[in-house]
Amino acid sequence: MRTFKLLLGATLTLVSLMWSPGRAEQSGGDYPAAAKQDPGTDDAAMAQWKRRGQEPDWMAEELAKHKVLIPADNKGLVGKGQGSTYGSVTPEDVKVWQQETYKLAVEGSRIFHSGDRLKSTIAVSCDMCHPDGANTHPETYPKFQAQLGRVALLRDAINWCIENPVRGKKLAPDSPEMRALETYIYAQRTGTPLQYGKR
Amino acid sequence: MQYLKIKNRTAFLLVTMVLPWLGACNARLQENAEGPRGAHGALDMDQQKTLLESLLPERDVTQSPPGVDPGIWQQLVIPEDNKMTPERVALGKKLYFETRLSKDGTVACATCHDVSRGFTDQRPVSEGINGALGKRNAPTTMNAFLLQTMFLDGRAPSLEEQAKLPIVNPIEMGHANEGAALAAIADDPEYQRMFSFAYGRAPNYDDLGRAIAAFERTFVFLDAPFDRYLAGSPEAISEEAKRGWNLFNGKGRCMSCHQMNPSIPIGSDNRFHNIGVAARKQNFEQLARRALEALAQEGDMKAVDRLAIETDLSELGRFMVTKDRADIGAFKTMQLRNIALTGPYMHDGSMETLWDVMDHYNKGGEPNPFLDGGIEPLALSEDEIDAVVEFMFTLSDARLAEQNQRAFTQQRKLAAAKRPFRDTAMAERRVLPFEERVMGGTR
Amino acid sequence: MKRTIVKSVETRYYEEREALFRGLKNLDRRSFLKLSAAAAAAALARGVEFNLHSFQPVQVAHAATGEAGPVEFTFAYISDSHLYKRQLNDRFVRQLLRAVDDINHLAPQPDFVLYGGDLAQLGQPLELELGAQILKNLKAPVKMMVGEHDWFLDMGEKWRTLFGEPTYSFDHKGVHFVVLHSVMEDDFWSERGMTGMERMQTVAGLDNGIQSRFKVGTEQQVWLKNNLAAYSDDTPLIVFSHSPLYKYYRPWNFWTDDAEEVQALLQRFKQVVVVHGHTHQILTHRIGNIHFHGMLSTAWPWPYAPEGLPALTVQMNRADPFNPNDALGDGSVGVKAGGLVDKLYNLWNRNPIQVTSAYLTSGGKSAVPLTPNLQSY
Repeated sequence: MRTFKLLLGATLTLVSLMWSPGRAEQSGGDYPAAAKQDPGTDDAAMAQWKRRGQEPDWMAEELAKHKVLIPADNKGLVGKGQGSTYGSVTPEDVKVWQQETYKLAVEGSRIFHSGDRLKSTIAVSCDMCHPDGANTHPETYPKFQAQLGRVALLRDAINWCIENPVRGKKLAPDSPEMRALETYIYAQRTGTPLQYGKR
Repeated sequence: MQYLKIKNRTAFLLVTMVLPWLGACNARLQENAEGPRGAHGALDMDQQKTLLESLLPERDVTQSPPGVDPGIWQQLVIPEDNKMTPERVALGKKLYFETRLSKDGTVACATCHDVSRGFTDQRPVSEGINGALGKRNAPTTMNAFLLQTMFLDGRAPSLEEQAKLPIVNPIEMGHANEGAALAAIADDPEYQRMFSFAYGRAPNYDDLGRAIAAFERTFVFLDAPFDRYLAGSPEAISEEAKRGWNLFNGKGRCMSCHQMNPSIPIGSDNRFHNIGVAARKQNFEQLARRALEALAQEGDMKAVDRLAIETDLSELGRFMVTKDRADIGAFKTMQLRNIALTGPYMHDGSMETLWDVMDHYNKGGEPNPFLDGGIEPLALSEDEIDAVVEFMFTLSDARLAEQNQRAFTQQRKLAAAKRPFRDTAMAERRVLPFEERVMGGTR
Repeated sequence: MKRTIVKSVETRYYEEREALFRGLKNLDRRSFLKLSAAAAAAALARGVEFNLHSFQPVQVAHAATGEAGPVEFTFAYISDSHLYKRQLNDRFVRQLLRAVDDINHLAPQPDFVLYGGDLAQLGQPLELELGAQILKNLKAPVKMMVGEHDWFLDMGEKWRTLFGEPTYSFDHKGVHFVVLHSVMEDDFWSERGMTGMERMQTVAGLDNGIQSRFKVGTEQQVWLKNNLAAYSDDTPLIVFSHSPLYKYYRPWNFWTDDAEEVQALLQRFKQVVVVHGHTHQILTHRIGNIHFHGMLSTAWPWPYAPEGLPALTVQMNRADPFNPNDALGDGSVGVKAGGLVDKLYNLWNRNPIQVTSAYLTSGGKSAVPLTPNLQSY
């Protein structure tokens, strides 16, 4: 979370600390932004819940920097059709659906663009090779990846990238970071037909 | 899951069928290690046959062997014009050990692919007729049927084609041509009978290649402790080997090229990579510069001649086949199965132990303009290197456990005495590949 | 038994080798020096020939005669190395070292080496100094160009100390060369109260929408106009700019906002070539008499943008992430009399790709480079 503020100049002292000459040597060391995120937990729902009310403008700030495609709005469902067991779809429903989904994609964008959040030991982040999530082709997974010795899911490819080009620490498959990254990557390919196994 | 099932079956077969004769086989191998050697250092052909019979139990060769995915076997391994039959395998067996296939009657396939020596000759480069040394290390014929191309530069597209080439190579088996090679055996009534049974034709060179290939497709050695570990026996390999397997997949980056998967479990991507082994041995620039200098003297053609003989273009590897610049100095990824038994390592046999191999990769290979970009310094610690080596020693087939143990002891002893390729500064990225050449003496 | 005679690879190799050396023997020294590459090619290579002097292959077409005649001279390039401090990231450093090693192996040596900008990742003094130190080891003289990653931490203060002014020109063998600083940006940082590092990091993010678009700016345009005034229309002109001097894809700043104005200043020359960095990919474009060529990065490759790709561009294969050097490299430019150029992309672990002047002048109809089988997504 703080990475973002650093960039916006809210905490100038931390910025100079971040890029001080000594910093490079502490690879894998203390990363304030990531530490706060508590990557050990796999309780993604809780992480999303906790975020409520914190840094109310973080989404706007992230979106000013990076374009994240908006999820389906589902407005066409409001009040229509045969009704369902618990009543019809309300405008509030579609708003919540969209907002919560979007939030996770935008959070994914923050991680995607942050070497610190990815715990890169060589200051590399996903966007360096994948601006706007280009060339991530999530629609081609699952596919057999010989170098992994198995059929890779998108998350396996993400983790491979984190471990190798990024030289960071692999994420737990169900960690909040992984879920956010997956969401961002899928979001950026909205509208692309799925074709699993494609090269 | 399918992989596990197959492996379970393998384990089952092993317990019920293989174990009873394992003891006898191991005793035999032990004896062979010190036993008499025939021409060019290979074990006597009859003894090799006996040993092979103890290693490969009778089975229906028309069926896919245990440990190999039946779909892969049927669709990728067995060619349309060379289905497996007992007659073909029998003919191939006779030919594999046939020294008449060499000009002077001293070299057979089994000379360099010696059953008692991991189906290779355990020499840096192979010795042919008249004691001539070749340029390349002999790969094992064990599991070779799972490779897509043969020879270290992949110049033969199949086992069939591979088998036909050394026979007419001037420094290997030395027959002048295919006709001469065939003539050496074609009058033998035994061969006439066997060719007829196998292919319904008189002896001919293509069927000779086919028969040897069919026989080599029985060299299935895919039942290693590692397989039993994957099949659900955690105790099959040591904790250190398990750590090695993790490093193999992760920090060591081995899996990028030595790909292991249930379909093709031998640890080769069947591709060609420049890892710099040839660059270390051969300084192309220096040779080329000397050639230019010699020419500058106008008329010193002796120097040019000498250079022509010294220049070893075989070090160009895959390039000699494709003429693609991307293939300069690139050699096929070796399979890792039974790797303990098939040293010395690399295309020129320049590395004696698996520790040497690890040292080479750990420092990021040998810098050269065509170095594969996947070759990076790995920063593996000594402990980690030991673990990966330990893992590689779990890839030897259970039938070869005795030899495996002996190789381990021997290699460990060698590695304790010398590690000629170790470069810790490079491995830990304190010095970078190319740095020495570009920046000069930085250390 | 009827069989075609199949020669083993060994046999063919020994025959070829003999033919090569026989050929060498029969040449006098002068012809050898002139023809050594062609002789080696005949014996050894398909499409790519070897220069024996260095064992570094050069592309046949470099020496081949096109409609514009033979190559008069070559210059090499290295671009977009994005160095961090070496303790932080050894990979980018190693890759720049590899490019320097490549270029040092070229024979004959290029007349000079163009460094295409983005030497540093965040414009920090240690990054720029490291880069300068490494580039000192090039045997050929170096011509420096600035990129946005070199500039926006201190607005070029350190870079200028090391390499001089970013905008300059020189003449070489009858060709007029101009080096531009094309990555100026309108001030987006003051009103946001950004520090230099924040400004730098914003610019360093390719898809970061806060920054402004690149431009050459009016001041430099005036300079360029005056600089060119002394040269006649038939002077061959080669322009180096970090960003492409045309409009490709705005969101990633594959773009120069005042490209049309700059192009207008170049228009009167009969033959103009623009060589640019920034895009980390093979890129080919032609607007009238102006030929545009991209440069490879040594640090990381970029995907092709989702729209706006110039029609003449034959894409390079999508990079294989399992090879961290894939789709990276360096290259060289062969300059012909009259100023047309053949552009060589020396892709590491791949066959080199050459985009010839014949390809551009024919509007993409002849000398078409190999097409990719793995497209960018």
